[in-house]
Amino acid sequence: MRRTLPGTAAALACMALLTAVMLPLRDSVSIATTALVLVVPVVIGVVTGGFAAGVISVCAGFLVYDYFFIPPYLTLDVGAPQNWVALGVYVIIMLPVARVVAGMDISRARELRQGRELRELFELSDLLVEDKPLDVLLTVIVTTLADVSGARQVALFLPAADSARPGAENQRLELAASVGEPLSDEQLRGVLPAPGALMSLKPHSPERSALTVIALTASGRPVGLLALSADAAAHHEREPLLLFVNHIALAVERAQLREQAMRTRVNEEMARLAKTLVAAVAHHLRAPLASLKASSSTLADTELNIGQEARQRLAGTIDVQADRLADMVGSLLDMSRIQAGVLQPRCTVAAPGTLISGVLDDPPPTWREYEIRTEVPADLPPIDADLVLVSRVLANLVDNAVRHSPPGTPVTIRAELRPTGDTIEISVTDSGPGVVPARREEIFELFPRRQHDAGAGLGLTIAKTFVEAHGQRIWVEDAPGGGARFCFTLPVAAAIPEESRLAASTHH
Amino acid sequence: MPRVLIIDDDRDLLNVCRVGLEALDHEVLTASNAHDGLAEASIRAPDVIVLDLGLPDMDGVEVMKRIRTWSAVPVVVLSADGSEDRKVDALADGADDYMTKPFGMRELNARLQVALRHHATAGEESSAIDVGQLHLDLAHCEAFLGGRPLDLTLREFDFLAYLARNAGKVCTRRMILENVWGPAYAKEMHYLKVYAYRIRRKLGDESGRFLQSDPSVGYRLMPPGEGGAG
Repeated sequence: MRRTLPGTAAALACMALLTAVMLPLRDSVSIATTALVLVVPVVIGVVTGGFAAGVISVCAGFLVYDYFFIPPYLTLDVGAPQNWVALGVYVIIMLPVARVVAGMDISRARELRQGRELRELFELSDLLVEDKPLDVLLTVIVTTLADVSGARQVALFLPAADSARPGAENQRLELAASVGEPLSDEQLRGVLPAPGALMSLKPHSPERSALTVIALTASGRPVGLLALSADAAAHHEREPLLLFVNHIALAVERAQLREQAMRTRVNEEMARLAKTLVAAVAHHLRAPLASLKASSSTLADTELNIGQEARQRLAGTIDVQADRLADMVGSLLDMSRIQAGVLQPRCTVAAPGTLISGVLDDPPPTWREYEIRTEVPADLPPIDADLVLVSRVLANLVDNAVRHSPPGTPVTIRAELRPTGDTIEISVTDSGPGVVPARREEIFELFPRRQHDAGAGLGLTIAKTFVEAHGQRIWVEDAPGGGARFCFTLPVAAAIPEESRLAASTHH
Repeated sequence: MPRVLIIDDDRDLLNVCRVGLEALDHEVLTASNAHDGLAEASIRAPDVIVLDLGLPDMDGVEVMKRIRTWSAVPVVVLSADGSEDRKVDALADGADDYMTKPFGMRELNARLQVALRHHATAGEESSAIDVGQLHLDLAHCEAFLGGRPLDLTLREFDFLAYLARNAGKVCTRRMILENVWGPAYAKEMHYLKVYAYRIRRKLGDESGRFLQSDPSVGYRLMPPGEGGAG
């Protein structure tokens, strides 16, 4: 109806113009020719304003024709009988013309709409075959269906999660996704009747609140229910939509199966990890325990003839190993918290030199037999890292270097700015046998691939976890003069001079 | 003074063992990897070797095999993870005993003593074996416990004789089955449980102190008075 008024106005304006042009010529032009010219405004009216505008144009055309162009002029009288024929033919021809033109117009509009719906459905089909999480997929489905069908309400019901297992009895449906106004309680009762409630299966309910409910099935198995408000059904054809229901059912089922498979994989992986974690922890804790037990059993044995100096050494070993165990347990807890995402690095800004001197301040006894050198340029930019975690990383790397080098050899800690300028590389170089290329990845793993592998202890695994918690990298390479070089990167603090200086000074 | 070589990559443990064993009148040599350990074993000729199976540069079982190519020195293997398969492998390759970390110094000493004694008596081929109160007459297949004859079947006698010949040393189930029953029986592990049960009853050793067993590893005839855990 919106188009009728402008269409009529356009037709009338055109008619007025043509009448004005034709009036001076009316005596030299035949009555039939005038009728032909007056066809033009009617067609314009129909095309721009639809059939109603066309009818109004025909009426106006009839009056104008009779009043201005059929003698006697300026009256509605019709003189000669052949003038009656011309007038009659005009009206008789014009009405079907308006009808046909309007029909063409309507079918063109319908084609356009169907084309659009088809395009949207094709887009939906593209979306359906993409690998998306189930909830995203469901939202896409209801939104697209609402667009395509023009329904005010679209809702998708799936079996409740706890009853979704195949073979589960009493499968309960619940609302999985919806768009538009939320379904009223009454509508919900219609879709999901309470047990024992009477249901009308009458297909078309006249009420506005009625829903069209379509069952989604995949290979005969029920997948869910699709509910669309009935207002959409009255206006548009549903066929393309119904054809599409099968695709939706398949896509939903596929997404459900994919999520189920993923959950199973995750569960298996968790179980495997838990099992190997216990084995690995037991394995790694045994080493300090072995020294502890050997020392304490020797000290406790009153029949053994042990000198005072040896006693001191055993007591010292017990002390060191107990610390090592305590550290290990603490680090393991931190590691599991980081891996579970509970512990986030608490980053502060500090100079790399502060970090290194902090680690070397109070060296454990095992380090004292080694010459620990540092190469830290004075002009390094500050780093942005969790000093507690990173100190542990560095201490573990030095510990590892000491463990694998002959006593008295140097261990070098070096810090340098990487060429990219956004990270600082800290390395620990030893004079030990080095690490063969094949083992360079696995020495950082919690579970050495070979069962009998002594492994490098938990230290490297913990170091790797802590470095990666900062989003940084740790690796081992050959040192230029033989031995191993363990390196890790740390982020340079963002260059906000005032703030970074402030943070660095307040932290220490 | 017996000379002990300990091969283990844990330096702290090496130091503690040195202190403890020296107090127990042993001469102690140490090596922290397989390479050094093999060199020490060949040059210094220790009387007994303690070998950790988890060495950084070579599989401990491989070290065991190499030692056996030139020497019959008794070897006690150490395992950190309690993995049964690896103990069994090491025993099958000629180890005399095994211990699981952590261990006490007394236990280590006891095992070393058993291994040393077993080594001292091994290789003596004779027609009779004595293990504590047990006397086995191999020529006549007769067994006596404290002078009293034992009523053993032939297979029971063979089982007992095999353990007696290796007294003090842990014999894996496979070793026993192959030597007593024959190679075709190598997998019939349940035979051993039944026979060990019968022999223990006849020896009056229901508690298994003399005929010791580790269900997943093997059996050992432990000379009385040498204790040690089984």
